[in-house]
Amino acid sequence: MTVLDPPIPTLPIQHEAAAAVGVSKIYGSGQTEVRALDDVDVSFERGQFTAIMGPSGSGKSTLMHCLAGLDEVTRGSILIGNTDLSSLSERNLTLLRRDRVGFIFQAFNLVPTLSALENITLPMDLAGVTPDQAWVDQVISTVGLADRTSHRPNELSGGQQQRVAVSRALASRPEIVFADEPTGNLDSNTGAEILDFMRRAVREMGQTIVMVTHDPNAASYADRVIFLADGKIVSELHEPTPDTVLDRMKSLDDLKGAA
Amino acid sequence: MFRLTLRNLAANKARFAMTTFAVVLGVGFVVASFVLSDGLRSTFNDLSEEITDGTDLVVRPVSTFGEPIPLDEGLVAEVNAIDGVDLAVAFTDAPDNSVQPIKSDGSTISVQGPPQLTFSWTGDEELGSFTVVDGEAPDEQREFTMDFDAAEKHDFVLGETYDLVTPIGIEEDFTLVGTTRFGEDNTTVGATLMHVSLDEAQRLWGTDGTVDAISIRLDNGADTAAVTGVIGELIGGSNVEVVDNATITEEEAAEYNDGITIIGNVLLGFAIVSLFVSIFIIYNTFAIVLGQRIREIGLLRAIGANSTQIRRSIIAEAMLVGVVASAIGIAAGIGLAEGLKALFGLLGADLPASPTILAARTVIIASILGIAVTVISAIAPARTAAAITPIQALRDGGDETGNNTGRRLGVGVTGLLAGLGLGAYGLFGSVGSTLGVISVLGLAAVCIFLGVTLAAPTIADPVTRVISWPIRKMFGRAGVLASENAARNPRRTATTGAALMIGLSLVTTGYVVGESLKASLGDLIEESVSADYVITDQNDFGLTQAIADDLTATGTFEAVSGMRYEEASLQSATTDGQIMDLTAMDVGALESLFNVDITQGSVPADSSSDVVLVHSDIAADLGVGVGDTITAEFATGYSTDLNVVAVYEDQTIFDVPIVPDHVFDEAGVGLLDDWVAAVLADGVTLEDAAPSIARVQAQYPQVSIQTSSEFQQSFEEVIDQMLVVINALLALAVIIALIGIANTLALSVHERTREIGLLRAVGMTRRQTRRMVRWEAAIVAMFGAVLGVAVGLVFGWGVVSALPEDDIGGSVAFPMVSILRVALIATAATLLAAWLPARRAGKLNVLDAISH
Repeated sequence: MTVLDPPIPTLPIQHEAAAAVGVSKIYGSGQTEVRALDDVDVSFERGQFTAIMGPSGSGKSTLMHCLAGLDEVTRGSILIGNTDLSSLSERNLTLLRRDRVGFIFQAFNLVPTLSALENITLPMDLAGVTPDQAWVDQVISTVGLADRTSHRPNELSGGQQQRVAVSRALASRPEIVFADEPTGNLDSNTGAEILDFMRRAVREMGQTIVMVTHDPNAASYADRVIFLADGKIVSELHEPTPDTVLDRMKSLDDLKGAA
Repeated sequence: MFRLTLRNLAANKARFAMTTFAVVLGVGFVVASFVLSDGLRSTFNDLSEEITDGTDLVVRPVSTFGEPIPLDEGLVAEVNAIDGVDLAVAFTDAPDNSVQPIKSDGSTISVQGPPQLTFSWTGDEELGSFTVVDGEAPDEQREFTMDFDAAEKHDFVLGETYDLVTPIGIEEDFTLVGTTRFGEDNTTVGATLMHVSLDEAQRLWGTDGTVDAISIRLDNGADTAAVTGVIGELIGGSNVEVVDNATITEEEAAEYNDGITIIGNVLLGFAIVSLFVSIFIIYNTFAIVLGQRIREIGLLRAIGANSTQIRRSIIAEAMLVGVVASAIGIAAGIGLAEGLKALFGLLGADLPASPTILAARTVIIASILGIAVTVISAIAPARTAAAITPIQALRDGGDETGNNTGRRLGVGVTGLLAGLGLGAYGLFGSVGSTLGVISVLGLAAVCIFLGVTLAAPTIADPVTRVISWPIRKMFGRAGVLASENAARNPRRTATTGAALMIGLSLVTTGYVVGESLKASLGDLIEESVSADYVITDQNDFGLTQAIADDLTATGTFEAVSGMRYEEASLQSATTDGQIMDLTAMDVGALESLFNVDITQGSVPADSSSDVVLVHSDIAADLGVGVGDTITAEFATGYSTDLNVVAVYEDQTIFDVPIVPDHVFDEAGVGLLDDWVAAVLADGVTLEDAAPSIARVQAQYPQVSIQTSSEFQQSFEEVIDQMLVVINALLALAVIIALIGIANTLALSVHERTREIGLLRAVGMTRRQTRRMVRWEAAIVAMFGAVLGVAVGLVFGWGVVSALPEDDIGGSVAFPMVSILRVALIATAATLLAAWLPARRAGKLNVLDAISH
């Protein structure tokens, strides 16, 4: 079973770190049926920083949850590397999240009873594997937390807490990192720091990151932006800037208004 | 506001369900205690009436001290001759279980259960309360009857012959000539009731020419007072009295009621311990639930509710929980009464069938206790909630960690010291009455429990870390998180653990006291007894002196002596008469059998004169020494001067004066030996003696002949049995505490939903999640166990130290293996109890949990 093997992020057979193939997610049925995702096809290349954008209710969070193995799809399949998530049991999904996926949430990212360092190594501790200490040290020093590792989350600022979360997501060198509005709770300066760090992780460490955001400025840090509306991918943008993102959003709004 | 109260309860149903359950168990136990004792009381009151029904007057012997002297049989005819007396019959009965029928398979009916009672047949069904159902009444030698229920139950067949164990040994070939019915419905409450003829009764229990009582039925319309007067004149003297039916009925009932009241009060005591434990559980539930509602309460305050309204609404909530829990508890108690009865049955003490009586008093007391316990528990959380400010609605409601830990520690230590002081006063001071001592010690225990609970949060963090060290090592990150979670809210952990502490500390106390008694007893027997055999009867009614004679006749023994106890009034030159027990024995055998440590005088070579050996305490009381004289007056009126020949120090065996056998014989008191001791002749081993012992044993099956070490063991078994009963009754308090731990964990899991969601998202498996919750529960339980064992060891040490040293006190033993075993069992049970909250934590939907 591949999920039990140690992560092998650099096998070059396949260029895609994750993909959704014909994915639909439907809540309820009949009259109350809601299509959160409607036949979505998308793939995420290795070493790329992708942002998923869209208005509330567009299905962007649902897409991320499905990609990350936190939610089940109604139709279609999700691939992380070569693994089809629909074939996995609950337990194996958990192990996949632990060993092959990294997470950054908007808030409440850290376990309050554990120190910053313990939070960073948590997935590996849960797996019972010894972290790669040199790598962990490098990640910690890169995010500038070297003198904060023994602090508890409630002794850290919001920005510091989020940097711990990013470190945790990177520390186990997962195949892919999912970030759900990682800067949503931060002021713009702190947010910029985090985003910059995430971009460096992609550029310098070859990490694959998928980030959900509704902030054009945040999205501009990505290599590629995909736009969702009503559960469908409606547009895509490469090498975005805040302005191009904003323009595309505006035009999508106009399109929708005209329809 | 009241509508809000109801809504809150409805919204938190599950959370309050466990709290309710804790109160239900406590209240149920209280109700069960009352229902059980009321039912038994009613059964025995009916029985007492049945026994005395149809009898108008009873003539019986009385005495101010000692055993009353039986009536002369000739008196029966004289009473019968009195005008107005329709019929007077003689009546005599054997002590409980002194007559036992032997079944055809050679076994006897167990003496552990209801008693086997044998009476003389009065010849009159109304006066005797018995009717022959089948066959005929016993009127010849070697005939007996049995009540039909017992005959059927124990397979005794009408017309067959059986051997009987009797006070004079085994008597063979008694024919079961009839089966009888007691009263209307044969309400024997399980006893085996037998009859023999009066002559046979007098022969079997060696009371020729005397009877125990005369039952009298008057002529219709006879003047009871007048006849009573005539009989009074006839019997004269102060050693006989005539009493009416009502008096006898009342006395019978009172005798049973005393025993029932003791059982009832003991059960009630344990019930109150259980309720006390519930207080901790309820307090915790309210504190946690309110902690989670800080925002909601802040909002209420913001929109205009004042703090009094908040407090009242919470108290009302508690009151409702109390009312519902008490109502369910009262219903459950009725069932629990049957459960308790079954428990007694399992422990070898069968209680008779009794009606279920739910008295108004029971309902009132149970309701008051149930509601009071719930409301009292909610007062502190309600006050905290009332102090919530509107601004807190806007902030995140975090853990309700104590900001006044210092003050709590101060109050806790004060309470602890006050409790210890009170305990010392109760144990070593002179409180006086037993009830007073129990009250003082109870209050001391409450102070200590509350004090420890208040002080415990201070040590909860370090102690749980030490306790959880192996868990951290064994279960990796899940173990570490379990340990961190147990330590993160010390007050919660302390209160939850404290609930378990109470039960376990009492169990530990029991073990320490029990084990210390065993150790002391062992020491005492070793020091004071040189006898090789101790012979006792199973029911404390006494042994025929023939047993000592038969043992002597085997030639195996150097010395054999029976010990008889009888009250006498003792008077010295300087003191007035004091009524106390005397022991009669073969004084010549004293020093072979026992080591009484004679400090003055010596045992006389010739004990045929009237001499007495006195313990130094009594010698001091009476102001006598060797050479002085004590005048003894017995119940029979016999009086003699006893010459003090020795004073001894060791009161293990004899704390009462010892006189030679002939004194009792001449006084006409004490026909039966209370027990017998025997020491083997030189060179004879226990193995050599075995055949002779077996022969004597076969002749007297109701007697237990034990070597001194067996005798010690049987004492130890009694102590062990008592510990089993105490532990069984404390089990409920422990169970309530375990429910409390599970409840707290369920609340904590709810509170930490997001955190658990996060852990699951980053890869904690369900199994690891369950493990984390379960081991947190176990750590809390172990913390409670550590507190409980510590408190219990102190309690036990205190109680043992308070016991008189030369009597039963002396050595303190700490049976740590048994104590640790109980602590481990409690911890294991906690792992089970936490199964539900652990499962819930494992099943949390990750996405829902994260966005909680």
